[in-house]
Amino acid sequence: MGADSALERTVETILKNTEQQLITSLNDALKSSQSTIANSQTSLEQEYDKIIAEGKKEAEKLEKQIIGNADLDSRNKQLLLVEESIEKVFEKAISKLQNADRGADYSKLISTLLQESIDVIGTPEIIVQTNSKDASVVQSLLSKFPGATLSSDQIDCLGGIRVQSKDGTMKFDNTIDARLERLKPLIRKDIASKFGR
Amino acid sequence: MSAQGGVQYSKIAEIKGPLVVVDGVESVAFDELVEIQTTDGQRRLGKVLEVGNRKAIVQVFEGTTGLSVSGTSAKFVGKVMEMPVSEQVLGRVFDGLGRPIDGLPDPIAEKFIDINGAPMNPEQREYPRDFIQTGVSVIDGMLTLVRGQKLPIFSGSGMSHNILAAQIARQAAVVGTSDEFAVVFAAIGVQYSEAEYFRRSLEESGALKRSVLFLNLADDPAIERIITPRVALTVAEYLAYDLGMHVLVILTDMTNYAEALREISAAREEVPGRKGYPGYLYTDLSTIYERAGRLRDKKGSVTQMPILTMPSDDITHPIPDLTGYITEGQIVLGRDLFRQGVYPPVNILMSLSRIMKDGIGEGRTRGDHQEISNQNYDAYSRAQEVRALAGIVGKAGLTGVDLKYLEVGDGFEKDFLTQGVDENRTIEETLGLQWKVVSLLPKNELTKVKDKFIDQYYKER
Repeated sequence: MGADSALERTVETILKNTEQQLITSLNDALKSSQSTIANSQTSLEQEYDKIIAEGKKEAEKLEKQIIGNADLDSRNKQLLLVEESIEKVFEKAISKLQNADRGADYSKLISTLLQESIDVIGTPEIIVQTNSKDASVVQSLLSKFPGATLSSDQIDCLGGIRVQSKDGTMKFDNTIDARLERLKPLIRKDIASKFGR
Repeated sequence: MSAQGGVQYSKIAEIKGPLVVVDGVESVAFDELVEIQTTDGQRRLGKVLEVGNRKAIVQVFEGTTGLSVSGTSAKFVGKVMEMPVSEQVLGRVFDGLGRPIDGLPDPIAEKFIDINGAPMNPEQREYPRDFIQTGVSVIDGMLTLVRGQKLPIFSGSGMSHNILAAQIARQAAVVGTSDEFAVVFAAIGVQYSEAEYFRRSLEESGALKRSVLFLNLADDPAIERIITPRVALTVAEYLAYDLGMHVLVILTDMTNYAEALREISAAREEVPGRKGYPGYLYTDLSTIYERAGRLRDKKGSVTQMPILTMPSDDITHPIPDLTGYITEGQIVLGRDLFRQGVYPPVNILMSLSRIMKDGIGEGRTRGDHQEISNQNYDAYSRAQEVRALAGIVGKAGLTGVDLKYLEVGDGFEKDFLTQGVDENRTIEETLGLQWKVVSLLPKNELTKVKDKFIDQYYKER
């Protein structure tokens, strides 16, 4: 009996010690987990804030990208539409010019163009080219410009004249087409302003 | 602009390299625009370089390939080269001569401006101030770009300068103001892939809306490169001084510009200067770089960031050398950092923004900006010395503080310098990173910053 009770006591002591150890390590584990949780909460919060901030940045970037591209797309479509309308206006104007009345005013215009061409080339000794419609108008004016002769070669243009020095080294294009081409950028602005641009 | 136009001369005396000599001319002006017409009716643009003895030397922008003395004619237009400008140029892509290449029509012009610009009256200039945030830490933190400044990037062949340029173009902004901001980007002699990268990069980030692109490709005639920076700056000046925007002009690569200048100079048989560049290279470069600044009573500003690749990484080469005389500092990209994979590989010890001090500090960026920047310079330069020492005596021979400086050097390159290509850091984030780097040092090593800032921002690591 004596030996049994001693054994029981020993077992009980061992059990108690083990229980104590277990409780202690459980308490330690609890404390350590609590401290880990407390610590990680701060770092988690920081991580969370970082993710949110990065997400916000990314969203702002995407918003900027989408809005920017949409704005640009709509602006570009508008530009194409305005350009189409400008081209139509030019086509109409050209067809009007083609069929313009070759009356007294037109003769005055050709005379101005001839004088301007002589001034630019710097010599009255010139050969004048024009289209079939204007040939007679030009021919009738040449008597006022001694030294100027009408070329038999006709050119394809809306109207006006093209002149060259008699030695052929200098040319000056004073056709309506050339003048229109030179002024096109300015005229485009005026036309566009009519469309509210 | 008049309806009159000019005389066409068909007496071509000589074609020499990119130059055409026209004989028998009268009333031709220096710098006048010329239309060269080829035998097949093709038109090329050029400008008058010299006039005298009834002869005019014309520089043909699109090159003289295919031109012959007989059958070629030159029309003197009676005006200098002009760029049509209006607000519509924003969001557009042009070639090196300012012609649209984005499939859209010519912009409807508000004005036609001489591309050579009018010199700024020095008395009317205002000192550059106020910060431009590029979102790139090393620039914002240590080499701050200031509105109206000209700050070049000196790079080397094959380095990441174009990626950096595109990143700056995408991210640059003025902070703390509702003023409008625009970027004018001129690519001079770049490869097609690079040009596409710039265009796509701006398109995809939505930044194209506030940008204007001028693309002169490597296979475009070299002579066009003379014009590209000038048309870009003309547009920039209009946006800045007429529309009141703050404009950042990025010019890459100015070395290609100088090469084109050398080509023309050689064709004109001028006496060559250093490395064959013309003696007037300095003057010519200044006509570009000096078109940056702010004007009194004008709201906008033109800030320039020219990028140039130094042949053989030689900073004493005439192009970076002369550029450095004109500009207000430089950002130098380092080959060693580039090889280590650091992006952006800015060598801060060779870089400097001369007027940074006037664009930063309380009310502009933050009160501690200058001091923390100085401290980072100091710490990184010391780290470089310690690295050199460690190479001789080994780490075992270093003191505890030396080892800390080694950590600072690594931290500076890894945490502060290194940045993602799409990473846009605010100035607060940048300054925070600068403090993080120097916080690796003990407090008593921070000798460039006031105690109040140390108390506020230092976090021992």
